[in-house]
Amino acid sequence: MTDAFRNALRIGGLVAVVLAFVTVVEYVFAVNVDSDQVRFVGLALAAIAKSWLIVYFFMHVYRVWRAEAH
Amino acid sequence: MALAGTAAHAPEHVVHDKAKMKLVGLWLFFFSESVLFGLLLSARFYLERINREEVDQLLGLGITCVLLLSSVTAFTAETAIEHDRRKLAGWMLVVTILLGTGFACGVGFEWGTAHFSKEQAFGSIFFTMTGIHAAHVISGIGLLVLTWFQLARGRFSGKDHWPVSGTVMYWHFVDVVWVFFYPALYLVK
Amino acid sequence: MYALKSVAGALGAGLIGFYLGIGGLGAVRALAGYDAWDTEMSITFGYVFGVIGWVMGAGMWGAWGREWFGLRTYDRKAPGWQRYFVFNTDHKVIGIQYLVTFIVVFLLGGLMAMLMRAELTHSGHQLFSNAQYNSIMGLHGIMMIAVAVAALVGGIGNYAVPLLIGAEDMAFPRLNALTYWLIPPVALTLLCTPLLGGIETGWTAYPPLSVLTNNAQILFDVAIITFGLTSILGGLNFVVTIIFMRAPGMTWGKLPIFVWAMFATAWIALLYTQGFAVSLLMVLLDRVAGMSWFDAANGGDPLLDQHVFWFYSHPAVYVMVLPGFGIALEMISHFSRKPLFAYRYAVGALLGILGLSGVVWAHHMFTSGMPNYLHGPFLVATELISIPTGLIFLCALGTIWMGRLWLTTPMLFALAVIFNFACGGVTGIFLADVPTDIHLQDSYFVVAHFHYTIMGGEIFALFGAIYYYFPKMTGRQYNERLGKIHFWWMFIGFNVTFFIMHWPGIQGMNRRIADFMSDLNTANLIVSLAGFFLGASFLVFVFNMVWSWIFGPAAERNPWRARTLDWQTDSPPPLENFPVPPVVRGHPYDYGVPGSVHALFPGRGAEEPPRPPSTFPGAAPAPAGGGGGGGGGG
Repeated sequence: MTDAFRNALRIGGLVAVVLAFVTVVEYVFAVNVDSDQVRFVGLALAAIAKSWLIVYFFMHVYRVWRAEAH
Repeated sequence: MALAGTAAHAPEHVVHDKAKMKLVGLWLFFFSESVLFGLLLSARFYLERINREEVDQLLGLGITCVLLLSSVTAFTAETAIEHDRRKLAGWMLVVTILLGTGFACGVGFEWGTAHFSKEQAFGSIFFTMTGIHAAHVISGIGLLVLTWFQLARGRFSGKDHWPVSGTVMYWHFVDVVWVFFYPALYLVK
Repeated sequence: MYALKSVAGALGAGLIGFYLGIGGLGAVRALAGYDAWDTEMSITFGYVFGVIGWVMGAGMWGAWGREWFGLRTYDRKAPGWQRYFVFNTDHKVIGIQYLVTFIVVFLLGGLMAMLMRAELTHSGHQLFSNAQYNSIMGLHGIMMIAVAVAALVGGIGNYAVPLLIGAEDMAFPRLNALTYWLIPPVALTLLCTPLLGGIETGWTAYPPLSVLTNNAQILFDVAIITFGLTSILGGLNFVVTIIFMRAPGMTWGKLPIFVWAMFATAWIALLYTQGFAVSLLMVLLDRVAGMSWFDAANGGDPLLDQHVFWFYSHPAVYVMVLPGFGIALEMISHFSRKPLFAYRYAVGALLGILGLSGVVWAHHMFTSGMPNYLHGPFLVATELISIPTGLIFLCALGTIWMGRLWLTTPMLFALAVIFNFACGGVTGIFLADVPTDIHLQDSYFVVAHFHYTIMGGEIFALFGAIYYYFPKMTGRQYNERLGKIHFWWMFIGFNVTFFIMHWPGIQGMNRRIADFMSDLNTANLIVSLAGFFLGASFLVFVFNMVWSWIFGPAAERNPWRARTLDWQTDSPPPLENFPVPPVVRGHPYDYGVPGSVHALFPGRGAEEPPRPPSTFPGAAPAPAGGGGGGGGGG
């Protein structure tokens, strides 16, 4: 097990924890907030944040701009 | 053309970055697909604003977590094959396939126990959106199975693993779609 | 016989897939306790599996599918004419496959138009019942839309773009072949619609009629969703090709204008085509699954369909005309022997149209009952599009200005594009303005307007492009005299037909209806006669093409003395396009600029220097062997 491999897995695990945390917070938030507008905006922000995390860390979108593809 | 054909200079071909082209092509495909999902999402708010019928919240949260977890295992599979750890990659693909199947079954269960009819607007929205998404999940499972099958037969290595990466990216994309569909269908009101 | 094997395999596998789909669905339904046969659901499933069987049987299994299972792939290497009937990944073959297929579809669609005009020679019913007329009109509409969307993009675009940018093929050759092989089942399915009662909704398939009408609608839905898929995949392929496959030195600022137009077009096809698919999918679900997307009684809304549909179908207009503009500007520059005027502005205009195309769709819906506050923004956005369109006109006129025009058939068609589209653009202003549109909506004024833009703009460009590339594609020269006869015949027939057609429209003659007020008899008779005249002109075209492909004199490598890369290789080009890959140095349109070179071929010398035209070169026999590189101009 090389260091690079361990680092990559660690980043993946960290992102996974953050995603799970945001998902649970999102759920609790949506169930307990009364204002429609606040709930909508909060959910939208959470969805955008989560999708960005997946797109960046899991799908490696930066590889599109990197000079040499993997 | 006889001139050039017989010329002493051997035809030297321009080398294109095929790996990059496949990567960008896949991203463009996601871009295009996201318009499809975006239109369905817009249609949902156009017809029903943020209103929704009663849905099984616990089941929704559960399948969301399962899909999220499957993204993590898929990520691990891709990282593993990038570092030439084929055995780990194979196992992670299997786990991803199982989690994905679990998600699809969860959606099926949700369909079977839904309190609303597809003949009402919210029902149309709910069944169409989850159905189109589930169709992508199932096709993703199919791709994962094909990839795993080839991996088990000894293909792919740290240098040559585009099918694994592409399939895993598709799987993540399906997850991203659910990240938007889940709050829009379960939580928004 | 590879061709026979391929086509028979495709048909056989397609039929097996079709029956497997129906049978599988029937088995599942029977197990679940329903009737095994449900007309629309069975047809949908049969179609899906049938299309998969068709493309796999056509050769995709061997060339691509086996790879998914870790098996060795193989190509069917078919010689001669047979290569047009197999799953061929060569972009030149695919371009010709597209062109020939869509010319056939165009002629069939034209035949439908002739039948419609025969019905409309006089008020009252002449030949057809209302349902038959609707069916003919719907088929004419969707077939011509398909031609307009795919003939220039798929045919000329596939053929010319890799040549123009100095590439050896498209970025994804197998994907390219797949996009073509999805077309024949679409065409066959559309032609089958009359068997189930015909399309009654026209090509727009508005609910609630499309939900309530006969079973033919389901064929229309699945066929057009497939067609949308080919459009998306084709667009994707073009974007990646143009970004990554350009020859060394072919910077964005040196890209031929047709390639820029294809780039903008490909983005539109990639991003918006989903709209048509989604609207048809919703119709399909309403019909097959009993959903309520468009059933107002259950919370649905028919207007939703119009929004989703026009979200694609207005940008689709630019999928049709942008490549038309591109190829027209290309030909105008080559045949005016002048640099393209304001190249950067033309590129900016193409990209500007790409940007604006997505925010104008509701101008098709001013009378639909959508909220009034939407009228103003969509009016303004629509009229904003005339700014980039006007820029393209200025570029064309500036290039023609003081040029030495070489009036070959392609050039005549390119000039006609500018003329016709100006007329279509001016009438468009009346339709973009809400007050006049409320009067003109759904009248023959609209019909005249969009035929001026789509047929006058794009189909003229398509025919110009076919004449322009005919020597390159076939290695033979077409008959210039017949070409010019075809042009004038078509141009006059077209303008008489559709210019007069504005008049009954202003008088309130409704489109899509087999009958009209008897005061408009004379006008309609003239339009019909002119329409038959227009229709007859294509016989000249077909004769010219077929005869010249077989018996025409051999074409030179560069009969037009053009500077772009496509004309610097053999006619027809070898499999790899450029035996010596080109290195681009200068701008493609620098006619008359001393010392400018567009491309170098290492080991072959510079491109043939363009010579001023003397007479039409097709008349003189080409030098044997196609002429040596660089030797011609010395």
